[in-house]
Amino acid sequence: MTGKPALSDTSSLCDRRSVLAAALALPVAACGAPDDRKLLRWWSPQAAPAQARAYKAQIKRFEAANPGYRVAFEQTSDDGYPAQFAAAFAAGQVPNIVTHLPSFAAQSYYAQGLVEPMDAVVASIGADRFLPGANAPYLATDGRLSAVALGGTAVDMLWLRRDLMEAAGLAAPPRDWDELRDACRRMQTARIYGAPLPFGTNSMTSLVFISFIHRAGGQVFAPDLTLTLDSPATYAALDFYRSMREFCPPSASSFGWADSLNAFVSGATATGIYGGRVLVNVARQNPAMARQLLCVPYPGQTAATPAWTFNDFPCLFIPKGASEMAATRALAVSLYEPEGYIGQMLAAPGHVLPVLRGITNSPDYSGNPITTMFAKEIATMTAAAAAGHNLGFESAAHAPNVKAGEIIASNAIAEMVQRVTISGEPAKAAVARATDRIAAIMRAGTDRG
Amino acid sequence: MMAATAKLRGDGWLGPLLIAPVVVVLGAVIGYPLFTALALSLFEVDTPTLRASFAGIGNYAELLGPGGRFWPALGVTLVWTAATLALQVVLGVAMALLLNRDLWLRSLARSLVLFPYFVSTVVAVLVWRWLFNDLFGLANQGLMALGVIEAPIDWLGTMPNALLSVIVVGAWKFFPFVVIAVLARLQTIPESLYDAARLDGAGAWGRFRDVTLPQIGEVLGIVVLLRAIWDFKEFDLIYLLTGGGPVDATRTLPLTVYQEAFGLNRMGMAAAYAVAMMIVMLGFFVAYRLAVRGRS
Repeated sequence: MTGKPALSDTSSLCDRRSVLAAALALPVAACGAPDDRKLLRWWSPQAAPAQARAYKAQIKRFEAANPGYRVAFEQTSDDGYPAQFAAAFAAGQVPNIVTHLPSFAAQSYYAQGLVEPMDAVVASIGADRFLPGANAPYLATDGRLSAVALGGTAVDMLWLRRDLMEAAGLAAPPRDWDELRDACRRMQTARIYGAPLPFGTNSMTSLVFISFIHRAGGQVFAPDLTLTLDSPATYAALDFYRSMREFCPPSASSFGWADSLNAFVSGATATGIYGGRVLVNVARQNPAMARQLLCVPYPGQTAATPAWTFNDFPCLFIPKGASEMAATRALAVSLYEPEGYIGQMLAAPGHVLPVLRGITNSPDYSGNPITTMFAKEIATMTAAAAAGHNLGFESAAHAPNVKAGEIIASNAIAEMVQRVTISGEPAKAAVARATDRIAAIMRAGTDRG
Repeated sequence: MMAATAKLRGDGWLGPLLIAPVVVVLGAVIGYPLFTALALSLFEVDTPTLRASFAGIGNYAELLGPGGRFWPALGVTLVWTAATLALQVVLGVAMALLLNRDLWLRSLARSLVLFPYFVSTVVAVLVWRWLFNDLFGLANQGLMALGVIEAPIDWLGTMPNALLSVIVVGAWKFFPFVVIAVLARLQTIPESLYDAARLDGAGAWGRFRDVTLPQIGEVLGIVVLLRAIWDFKEFDLIYLLTGGGPVDATRTLPLTVYQEAFGLNRMGMAAAYAVAMMIVMLGFFVAYRLAVRGRS
């Protein structure tokens, strides 16, 4: 018991001190030096895990090239974005860039003075790098661009399974509504429903049903934006849609995008109505079905009715009032650099289709296992998307409908569908009610001046 | 005496000064939002741009008028509130009575019964949506396996199933609150009251009616008032389960306020709905106070 105990005591004291110091230092070290980089915020409703990884790679490249900035990706949703953006604009807390919102949303916000014109960004990217007409849906009435094309999507393709078609004795995909109904009837069994059409109070029902109006030869608005919803085409579409209810799962009355997609991918329905996300989901979740997939534009009332595909024209825009405008524009331009852009397209192959020249045929894009396996389907969707339209851009002759976003968000069309197909109300009354609501939305801005 | 009076006069400012912080805080957290909502309801306001034009009582005239959605939404809200509250009280009191008995693993059971109340609404709704799923859900598959139904039922997309489902899920989610409150009161009821009732020949029902019910009556009254207020303004559970559909069949007043503010971008109209909703709730409160005063 000479010096040892003391040494022992000291050492144990030192140990305690070390432990204490380490315990105090750890959180400080974990926090690291304060991050004085300026923050840029990026919002998008397209944020499946693979897509989020692709964005992260793009962000990493941008941050490496611009050390004074860091970028935070924040997810929004297809049905939730109108509320989120309304609140963000009202509070003045807007993100720096927004991607993958439909063209009509950008047009709507631009018309309200909430979005920056994007002509300078397009010029920086190179206007000639875009496919012909790619930016046409974003052309505002003042001749400027409300957004930049980021991709194209053939949202409402008809997906079929060769095995089920063969079992039902169907030699070819249906070419009109009668054939489609017949195909669904023949493919429907005790365990498999014919189709996953949406009947819910949501954007999918509205957007998909607008396509059916067009596929009956009608339109919601005339080119001068006179409301033409109350037309024989709408009644024909309602009639057909109602007749399809018996081939859809009972819960289709509340189906949204994810439900409809999952119903087909899981094998619960014989046909599907969706964009290219079917490819990657089938490849990953139900690979046995992959070889059986077939995709064609959704048929019209008759084989002679011109095809109409819903393309939401996923775009990129910059909200007015976004901070650090020069860096924000640089971030926007950086998303079109080939390596990152291809990575982003391949994160959901075939779902968001490239709008830059030379991407589709580049080995990096076409060499992907899914784009290789489904080259024919992707080509079909690319052609359909190129000729696609939406409520904000019903035809090349139509003036931009800056109220399209509000009409969709109001669910006026989805409710019309529900009244007729679920509640059994007379079509005439339901159409009249929807017409009144849409007319009020169209008037609203004018009333406020 | 005069000196004391003078001192009191001199300290006359002390009372208002002490109460001032409370007045300021209450004014900031209650008075200001209330006044803003009232003022907002008199304007047509575009939510994203906040462009406004004076509408006077135009918003109220529209929402209460023949085309307005106030009365149907109020009807749905009252049905939802009354039905889910009744279920919560029945389930809650029954469960509290059960948990007040000497049960095996009573402590565990008391903890587990609180689970629905503590679980996040989003998680609860996801679980119930999965249970109700027609393709893979346990509810339909179980009923079909038992031969009760031949084909899956659409629990959330058609009426009256949608409203019934929302009411049941609401009752499941919130009945533990009734259990907590009633169980606490049950544990303080003197056993001698039950002994006396037994001596008088009272059966189980008689003891419940003449002893338990009067004893828990006061607690139950407060629970009913609180839950009625909370259920009346319930938003997330209904929004996540049905979104207010089919059509407007489950669209309660809070969902209407949300749709007006952020779906239709009419912030002024949303404020008018909110003010009307507040007046209805105030009516409930006054009725309750009158009932309590009358009873006492």
